Amino acid sequence: MKNTFTQSMAWLHTWAGLIFGWLLFAIFVTGTLAVFDKELSHWMQPEIPASTVSQADVAKRAISYLQQHQANAGNWGISLPTERSPGLSVSTGDRRHGVVVPLDPNSGEPLAVRDSVGGNFFFRFHFTLDLPRNWGIFVVGALALVMLAGLISGIVIHKKIFKEFFTFRPDKGQRSWLDFHNASAVLLLPFHLMITYTGLVIFMMIYIPAGVDAVFEGDSRAYFQAQGNARVEQPRRLAKTPADLVELAPLLAQAEARLGPIGSIGIRNPNTAAALIEVRPVLGNRIALTKGNAMVFDGVSGRLLSDVPELRPAPLTQRVMAGLHFAQFGGYPMRWLYFICGLISCAMIASGLVLFCVKRGRKYAPADSRADAAARRWYRVAEVCNVGFISGLMVACVGLLWASRLLPAELAQREAWEVRAFFGLWLLALLHAGVRPAKQAWVEQLALCAVLCGGLGVLGIFAGGVDHLRLGVEVTGLVLGIGLALAAWRVACPKPAVVKPRAARTMEAKA
Amino acid sequence: MSETPTWLRILSRSGAALLGGYAFSYASTACLARILPLSPADAVIVATLPAFVFYTLAILWAFASRDALRAWAPLALAVPLALIGFWPQALRWLA
Repeated sequence: MKNTFTQSMAWLHTWAGLIFGWLLFAIFVTGTLAVFDKELSHWMQPEIPASTVSQADVAKRAISYLQQHQANAGNWGISLPTERSPGLSVSTGDRRHGVVVPLDPNSGEPLAVRDSVGGNFFFRFHFTLDLPRNWGIFVVGALALVMLAGLISGIVIHKKIFKEFFTFRPDKGQRSWLDFHNASAVLLLPFHLMITYTGLVIFMMIYIPAGVDAVFEGDSRAYFQAQGNARVEQPRRLAKTPADLVELAPLLAQAEARLGPIGSIGIRNPNTAAALIEVRPVLGNRIALTKGNAMVFDGVSGRLLSDVPELRPAPLTQRVMAGLHFAQFGGYPMRWLYFICGLISCAMIASGLVLFCVKRGRKYAPADSRADAAARRWYRVAEVCNVGFISGLMVACVGLLWASRLLPAELAQREAWEVRAFFGLWLLALLHAGVRPAKQAWVEQLALCAVLCGGLGVLGIFAGGVDHLRLGVEVTGLVLGIGLALAAWRVACPKPAVVKPRAARTMEAKA
Repeated sequence: MSETPTWLRILSRSGAALLGGYAFSYASTACLARILPLSPADAVIVATLPAFVFYTLAILWAFASRDALRAWAPLALAVPLALIGFWPQALRWLA
């Protein structure tokens, strides 16, 4: 586009970064929150008690509930309490149209738990943007490519990469924003590249089905068969013959010895001679993503029918890359590392967006500026979107947590109302940014977000049901709230920025 | 060059980046999946893993290249790559 390679990369970085940065910020924020999706779900459903009962006992209670109420169902599912989510629930029917009943792990009786989208909303929004069908997957994929292009073009235009690695000049206005953008980008460059690329790898067969099209003539079933993902099936006639279900506890012990902590159990054709028991591990017993892995037992004899597959190097590589993105391995230390790296990624994107406006502020912002009216209007659009998509999205995210606690528990279609609260708040924030001067809009929204984050603990006090997981959410909210309050305070009373003629030498992000 | 309006030039480059880039990464994946000396199931995975490297390079190329026509080079390059990837299908189609 421009004369030199560096200049065209700078142009691409600036404009692609601005236009796609707003949605990229939303994807990174929700992805960062999704690191703690189970914990957030637990917080959003305060009725779920903490339990100390062993998984074997809990499974026994779940089975006796199902025997009593759903003895003739074709499928049973049991979601066991785990370290991260102490809730127990049983389900019948298939995954899409199943009925889920939460149980009290301590007594095995049904538990009245409010419906809530839970932290799962952030997880789904992260890769679908809540768009219908799988459009969201393609939009997010395209945005991830823009992110990759932004990272590479950012490296190209950032010539003094090693020197500025150690450079931070605070309180210098535009220069400080640039330094922060550079430092957060360079310091975590491996993380930014890894998280973006592995995100694309998760859906690579949807994005680029070229290999299946060329080698398997587009027959994806043949491809999956070649991967050896066959499902264990029992002869259908056996499903008519009644038979007693085997005791679960020894199977659970056997599976746990082989797979590590167990997450859920599925039973096909219970109480018949065709019964199959699938025992699935929690994700994260190893780096490779183990979604869909299960040990399958005969439901009558308890014989092991199919073990988890040993992966060949190629599928293992793909699974490890997906696992690096899902961040389920390594326990809580690794989860915190991902969370903090994610926060820094968010800050990197946000600082780039702010930098765009800070650079142009002196030229376009004053009412008496000589820039033409159209350019001033576009500058204003960027300003409004910056506030609405950065602080506004954060308000919407924490607002969802508030909605989960404040909406009446018996509300019909409660989950839909929570989602409406999320998007409603986001829209309100955009409108608010549109009618307020930029600086005030920043201060007010950041302050609101700080209050909402810090106030999660207040909600916790009123609702009760305190345990270490919920307390963790509230304390983290408080810490983030303090950070946001500091940000609001810094925007409200900035130290005077020293503008030196030297600033004109900044070539790095020249548009 | 100077007669073409800016928005049109940007549109052309963006189209080259999005469509040319997709065609290029799709075709190179198909080509790799065909020629890699692995079992078909493995070749498909190994060929698809680097697809987004190709895509990113094509995007950068589209905006970096000097003249507007050369920005579409990845699209042109996709044709022979796709022919290698889909040669059995191509032969069948010709027969």
